[in-house]
Amino acid sequence: MLPSRQNDTLSRMFYRFMRWWMGRNFKEINIQPFEPRPGHSILLLTNHFSWWDGFFANYAAFNNLKRRLYIMMQHDHFLKHWYFKYLGAFSMKKGSREMLESLTYSAGLLNNPENLVTIFPQGALYSNHETYIHVENGIERLIKQIKGPCQIVYQCTLIDYFEGLKPRAYMHHFDCGVAGEVPFEELKQRINDFHQQALKKQANMEH
Amino acid sequence: MLYDKKNFFINRFMHYYIRWIVGRHFHNLSFNSIETDPQRSILLISNHFSFWDGLILYCVNDRLLKKKLHVMMLEDTARKAPALRYAGAFSVNKSSRDVLQSLNYAAQLLDDPQNLVLIFPQGKLYSNFVDKVYFEKGIWRIIEQARDNFRLVFSATFIQYLKHKKPTATVYLKSIDGNLAYKSIDELAKAYQQHYDLSKQSETEIIL
Repeated sequence: MLPSRQNDTLSRMFYRFMRWWMGRNFKEINIQPFEPRPGHSILLLTNHFSWWDGFFANYAAFNNLKRRLYIMMQHDHFLKHWYFKYLGAFSMKKGSREMLESLTYSAGLLNNPENLVTIFPQGALYSNHETYIHVENGIERLIKQIKGPCQIVYQCTLIDYFEGLKPRAYMHHFDCGVAGEVPFEELKQRINDFHQQALKKQANMEH
Repeated sequence: MLYDKKNFFINRFMHYYIRWIVGRHFHNLSFNSIETDPQRSILLISNHFSFWDGLILYCVNDRLLKKKLHVMMLEDTARKAPALRYAGAFSVNKSSRDVLQSLNYAAQLLDDPQNLVLIFPQGKLYSNFVDKVYFEKGIWRIIEQARDNFRLVFSATFIQYLKHKKPTATVYLKSIDGNLAYKSIDELAKAYQQHYDLSKQSETEIIL
């Protein structure tokens, strides 16, 4: 496992650059109203459907959730894009003993209420139209190790076009409770319920 | 009502421009192959979630169905983007009596086996995530008037990103045997809904 060497200045510069780049590629990044719990770190679980997902999480962390972003990356991707370690990325080797190390490292980061750790619980790329969110078991082990107050947030990003030529990204955030207070089975259920809610909300989205 | 316009040079320009702009915006445009009948025109029914729908299906028609595309669009849009009239767009104004004229014109176009008429039965833009596709009544009038001169084709379009920066558009086509298979608009809407649900299911089965 390779840890992050997060640098606040570089992260801020990168956020500004991404804001410009995403502005070129998307007509709008629409974050639906959501207030994170004060004094809690955030474990951000998001749906994984595109190349842009990490950047969406980065955008939400800076803009709305106001926390320092850390993100779990696959080991081979991390080696290829080594520079992401300065922007909060750390590696995870699926199916090896090093995976446990990564989970412990994430839990350690979450003890600080200024931090936010992004994880794609599905562990693979799925369609944006997927109705069921699969949650890998590693999340349970991670949550058990968190000692500080940590809020679990599910972020559902959905892409829609409507009138514009460029796509719009809609981000729906949901509060799944505080780590340690929600049993894992219930967490899985809540994530799927929230995902259904987001799909319904999106279908009736005003434009 | 605004009719589509014919001008050899502008029509050709629009043809290449649409192909270029769709190629530039999308990573890939994928669709399944269906059989077409050269002796019959095509009435294409599709879901409507963006400005791109018509352009995507223009390219699908160009590559697969090889007919002359006509598309019914709202009069406001036809006035805002008049160039689209050179790509086969004619207008409909839902709030005036002109609507009958537009429906009759669409039915008339279906008499020529070279033509394809694209209709968005939802009548306005909806999200790409809707579960139920709403049908406005006008489409049934076109089907009744055109009788048996055309072949009905259902289409459902979905947008997907997966590992690419640009989106991929997937079009699911289904050709219907016998236009008189449906007795009412409700039966037609139900059959389309079934195709839409199946397409959506295939769309969610893509995992990388």
